[in-house]
Amino acid sequence: MRESQKDFEPKIVGFLCNWCAYAGADLAGVSRIQYPPNIRVIRVMCSGRIDPAFILEALKNGADGVLVAGCHLPSDCHYLSGNFKALRRVTLLKRVLKDFGIEPERVRLEWVSASEGDKFAAVVRDMVEQIKKLGPNPLKVMEEKK
Amino acid sequence: MKMESSNPPKIVCFMCNWAFCEEEMRVPYNVNVIRVMCVGRMDPALVLETFANGAEGVLLVGCKPPDCHFVDGNLHAERAVKMLKKLLALAGLEPERLKLLLVSPLEDKDFSRHAKGFSEEVWKLGNSPLSKEEIVANLIAAKEAASAFRLRVLLGREEELTEFMNAYGEKIPEEEFDALLDDIVRAEFIRYKIHYLTRTKPRSVKELAQILGIKPSAVLRHITNMRRKGMIALDHVEGYTPLYKALEVR
Amino acid sequence: MAEGKVGAVLVVGGGVAGIQAALDLADSGFKVYMVDQSPSIGGVMAQLDKTFPTNDCSMCILAPKLVAAGRHPNISLITNSEVLGLSGEAGNFEVKIRKRSRYINEEKCNGCGLCAQKCPVEAIDTYNKGLTDRSAVYVEFPQAVPLRFKIDREKCIGCRTCQEVCKANAVEYDQKDSEIVLNVGAIILAPGFEPFDARLKSEYGYGRYANVVTSIEFERILSASGPYGGIVLRPSDGEIPRKIAFIQCVGSRDAQLGNNYCSAACCMYSIKEAIIAKEHVPTKLDCTIFYMDIRAYGKEFDAYYKRAQEEYGIRFVRSRVASITEDPATGNLLVHYVGEDETPRIEEFDMVVLSTGMQSPKDVEKLAKTLGIKLNKYRFCETKTFTPLETSKPGVYVCGAFSSPKDIPESVAQASGAAAKAMAIIAPERGKLIAVKEYPAERDVSQEEPRIGVFICHCGINIGGIVRVPEVVEYAKKLPNVVYAEDNLYTCSDDTQKRIKEKIKEYNLNRVVVASCTPRTHEPLFRETVREAGLNPYLFEMANIRDQCSWVHMHEPDEATEKAKDLVRSVVAKARLLKPLKNPTVKVTPVGLVIGGGVSGMTAALELANQGFEVHLVEREKELGGHLRKIYYLLEGEDPQKHLERLVKAVMENRLIHVYLGAEVVEVSGFVGNFKSKIRLSSGEEKEVEHGVVIVATGAVEYKPKEYLYGEDPRVMTQHELEEKIAKGEFKAKKVVMIQCVGARNEERPNCARICCGQAIKNALKIKEQNPDADVYVLYKDVRSYGFKEEYYREAAAKGVIFINYSDERKPKVTNDGGKLKVAFYEPVLKQEVQLEPDYVILSAATIPNPDNKRIAEMLKVPLTKDGFFLEAHMKLRPVDFQTDGVFLCGMAHSPKFIDESISQACAAAARAATILSKKVLEMEGIVASVDEDLCSGCRICEFLCPYGAIEMKERDGKIVAHVIEALCKGCGVCGTACPTKAITLGHFTTEEILAQVRAVLQEMEVAAK
Repeated sequence: MRESQKDFEPKIVGFLCNWCAYAGADLAGVSRIQYPPNIRVIRVMCSGRIDPAFILEALKNGADGVLVAGCHLPSDCHYLSGNFKALRRVTLLKRVLKDFGIEPERVRLEWVSASEGDKFAAVVRDMVEQIKKLGPNPLKVMEEKK
Repeated sequence: MKMESSNPPKIVCFMCNWAFCEEEMRVPYNVNVIRVMCVGRMDPALVLETFANGAEGVLLVGCKPPDCHFVDGNLHAERAVKMLKKLLALAGLEPERLKLLLVSPLEDKDFSRHAKGFSEEVWKLGNSPLSKEEIVANLIAAKEAASAFRLRVLLGREEELTEFMNAYGEKIPEEEFDALLDDIVRAEFIRYKIHYLTRTKPRSVKELAQILGIKPSAVLRHITNMRRKGMIALDHVEGYTPLYKALEVR
Repeated sequence: MAEGKVGAVLVVGGGVAGIQAALDLADSGFKVYMVDQSPSIGGVMAQLDKTFPTNDCSMCILAPKLVAAGRHPNISLITNSEVLGLSGEAGNFEVKIRKRSRYINEEKCNGCGLCAQKCPVEAIDTYNKGLTDRSAVYVEFPQAVPLRFKIDREKCIGCRTCQEVCKANAVEYDQKDSEIVLNVGAIILAPGFEPFDARLKSEYGYGRYANVVTSIEFERILSASGPYGGIVLRPSDGEIPRKIAFIQCVGSRDAQLGNNYCSAACCMYSIKEAIIAKEHVPTKLDCTIFYMDIRAYGKEFDAYYKRAQEEYGIRFVRSRVASITEDPATGNLLVHYVGEDETPRIEEFDMVVLSTGMQSPKDVEKLAKTLGIKLNKYRFCETKTFTPLETSKPGVYVCGAFSSPKDIPESVAQASGAAAKAMAIIAPERGKLIAVKEYPAERDVSQEEPRIGVFICHCGINIGGIVRVPEVVEYAKKLPNVVYAEDNLYTCSDDTQKRIKEKIKEYNLNRVVVASCTPRTHEPLFRETVREAGLNPYLFEMANIRDQCSWVHMHEPDEATEKAKDLVRSVVAKARLLKPLKNPTVKVTPVGLVIGGGVSGMTAALELANQGFEVHLVEREKELGGHLRKIYYLLEGEDPQKHLERLVKAVMENRLIHVYLGAEVVEVSGFVGNFKSKIRLSSGEEKEVEHGVVIVATGAVEYKPKEYLYGEDPRVMTQHELEEKIAKGEFKAKKVVMIQCVGARNEERPNCARICCGQAIKNALKIKEQNPDADVYVLYKDVRSYGFKEEYYREAAAKGVIFINYSDERKPKVTNDGGKLKVAFYEPVLKQEVQLEPDYVILSAATIPNPDNKRIAEMLKVPLTKDGFFLEAHMKLRPVDFQTDGVFLCGMAHSPKFIDESISQACAAAARAATILSKKVLEMEGIVASVDEDLCSGCRICEFLCPYGAIEMKERDGKIVAHVIEALCKGCGVCGTACPTKAITLGHFTTEEILAQVRAVLQEMEVAAK
């Protein structure tokens, strides 16, 4: 392991659907549940809006991890079935990530309801731990080497 | 059974700067005097810290009304001592190990008499039945409870609420306030004890109940409140038993 | 008091029913005052973890309704209040309200919660059912509406801490109770219920044994936001239980307690709680439900019940539990009951959940007296079968659990129905008391460079105590296109709104960014502000630096400050690209089309006409009445045929209703507000009508049995056939056997047909009435006489009707043995086969979907359930809506139901329809998809993916392109994500905007040289 990796603080971009996951993240706040400050959230209306291109763009720009979170399967989705679409897209994307030389574990799909503040915080905590183990985004490392 | 110890007890005395002058100070060797500006303005946590560091008795010396240099510091001191005695009892130490002595600077000239008297009282109490680790743990919990906002607010407001009036223009009877304080001091002590106990390793409700000697249902309720206040979180579940770990409180 | 009628309505009770009634009224042009005793609205539903049968998270589906009610310009929330007096009459009441002091100024409090954090006193947390504590200054739950704190005066010691920490100066210890007088045209009562006090059932040990909890406590235990964080724990020792017993009918179906009614929802919520508990417990958990009858009578309920048994392995034991004792050493509970084999048993459990029934709220007598309405003997509001929403006082309506115990969707349907009733009496006053806001003309910013103003909130010390706000302001000033930035103590306060507007003018801002709390609650406020300053409301964006930053990184001020900067930068990057959006509008044809002329269709048509809307009522048969024509008497004693006659007369004589008999709707096109339909008349001609809404009331039909010799032996008939014979005086018998669940609860149709148990009891009682010596046997699986129908079940049993349980494994056998009609079945008490020779065998044949449903569903593009009934938009909260806007359903088209339930739903459908028909133009949400037709390849992927059918293909210059029907688009953006040519995108969340956000959040933007 390289020296700098010891105090490596991953940058995580979170795409959260407005109705469940974003509300869950808000609840974590209202309940003052602490989690590491590594995540930056971008709000979308539905997890079905999350284009694999957004995730790739985040990785390209140096994100060490990307969290996609929406309403629980099968029926919590505010827009009926957007969460299923997110599931399909993220699953597909993870399959191709390997070809880019990126560990698929850097992209994570989670279902978080509006009452799961605890869960949101736990997911972030866990993800930070996991990505610390993986180390920095290999694209970023390559960039630095250049 | 308490054993009378063979050595005189270690006593720390916090003394008001205005109480005795240097020439009046003949101090027994087992008593350590620390001068403070006013005992009334002293942080109660400091007293508990002193006990935690091995003092067997703490003597607070201040000035008798109306001689307090800071007008009503002595009254503050009385309230703080009342609360501290509650915390000491909870921590398993005899409340008599703490004494507040108010003297009149003009009349009272003999400190050594007071110091010896207190020293003997403490000596008679003998060693605490609890182990040293237990007492230290309890005192740390008590100290943290005393430093926490909740108790400090109550201590700070007691005079206003019981002697003048509260926000609704009512005066709270002394006994009522005392009963409330009792409950809150106890709750805070237990919560900080739970916090202390779960800092190094996650523990279950049952385990905590056994250590604390209270009902598991009471421990669980404290944990729900500690969760609300961000003091503790579930660490993991072993079989059917959840284990909790303290969160850092700042 | 004002003269004439008043276009305002008082809603008493802010639970889900009250909220629904208020929203429907407010959305169709009436002023609403909603009074609730609690400091916030939401009622019992706000305490639930999940809801059956979909397991939706309760708060997730309720919170948007709370917010909608909270910020509706036509709804005034009067919380922490009660009704003191009433005078006047229907159309013009005067109501006196007492508003109890909160000791917090509602105008000033912004819900930041600092007071609660610092309050030194704890009180029992009633929202969490006493399982934990809260502070003496509190809100009931984090999502509370209004989010205004309240001081618990009982517990508060008046230490002034909250006053000192409150930066908004909202604490007012000298605030007094006040009285207000409201002038309203109608009143809707929705005070809900309270759970039965389980202490009264002392043999179950509630209150003595820590591990005996009530079902509502268990909801809190299950909830992720509950006291245990969503892990199921035993209150005695915090261990996860291995074995939980659920005990049904605690405080219900209990003659001893005088609660001789069924609470109607407990069987289902217990099944749900058992399922969710199993999902929450990581290790193995056994759940056992002790019941008398499982009353899974609602839509899709039996399928859920079946899943509970088969998928989740939940054990069901038919037995009334005698008592519960505790093993003091372990805190475990010993459940004493008589097993199905009649032997006494004792079984040990770790935890027991008592399914407590519903009863009317404590002080309901006082309310009834104040309002002058009658209660029934169980202290519920008295109603009649044909007027289920009317109290004994004209102009005062009722909905929800106050008229009888019921679950959420029925309460919601009744709420909309009560709204329709209220609308009808004050229809001419529609629109007169509501606030219409004028905005300045919108500034055209299309030619301007982005000029962004950033306002950063300290939120007292909620943000500013952790994030170094001034540093973030300085940082923001350097971001590209930011021309102004400042910090505010509270950006949401009134004076800051003024300031924002001033700064927009002063700096000629054309984009505004606020960094504060969550857009979920505050975006509407700020959009309103920029709109008042002449900017398009979509030129606004928010960064959440409190809920998702300062509050969750309280110990890392440096990191939190850096994060706040990143978030502001990201949102500024998006703001640069923001475009004004128009809220699309559609004109509304104020006419309704009702398909089906049964009791539901007729009621819906009449309710619409009573509000002044024209209606086309289309019935396939040659006469009106539908199913009701075959009903001759009722359990409750009323004469259905007389009511039918009256209803038909009212419909035929109403000038606004056009009735088409022997006719069919054959084509429907268009969308909400603008439908065009073809009706094929009895003459064979086709008539085209234009209308704004469709109400589907196509009813259901009786199943023609294939089993039990039906059709082969004339002595075997259905309940309807029996009823007709009895009514005509043609029925005589000494011995009758009734068989329940014929054609229902089987492989083919797994769900319960709901009304047959009631029918059987009704006909059995009638037979007994005519000939007390007649033997009547009812062979049943579960007797589902829910609600007040329980009383008739008991009466039938008391009069000697014999109820015998049978199971699927041992179904009764009906044979014709040389002319003798024989029924053989297994008698579980005697434990042997019994054979009877009845005069008649009566089959309780299921009510099954109208075979025409499929055609109508395809025509309207609305879905059906697996069973073939129509499928509503949401099983819990939108019981009479379809997902397709402007299309509604009611009555047996939805699922089998009793007359009063059909009438409630019909009224509900009318109220929902009125929210559309009452508007000249419908204004839609501006965040909708749009298509770049040059880029569109016409691949139809978006059309296929859109869950709302909001995309249609159109020809443009010789090529087929996608076209968004803005009136139907809900703004999820799924289409944009899938479009291969990037031709379709969602406004306000365009791909460019999101990508800009992604880049900016990760990379320092070029610091603009200024």
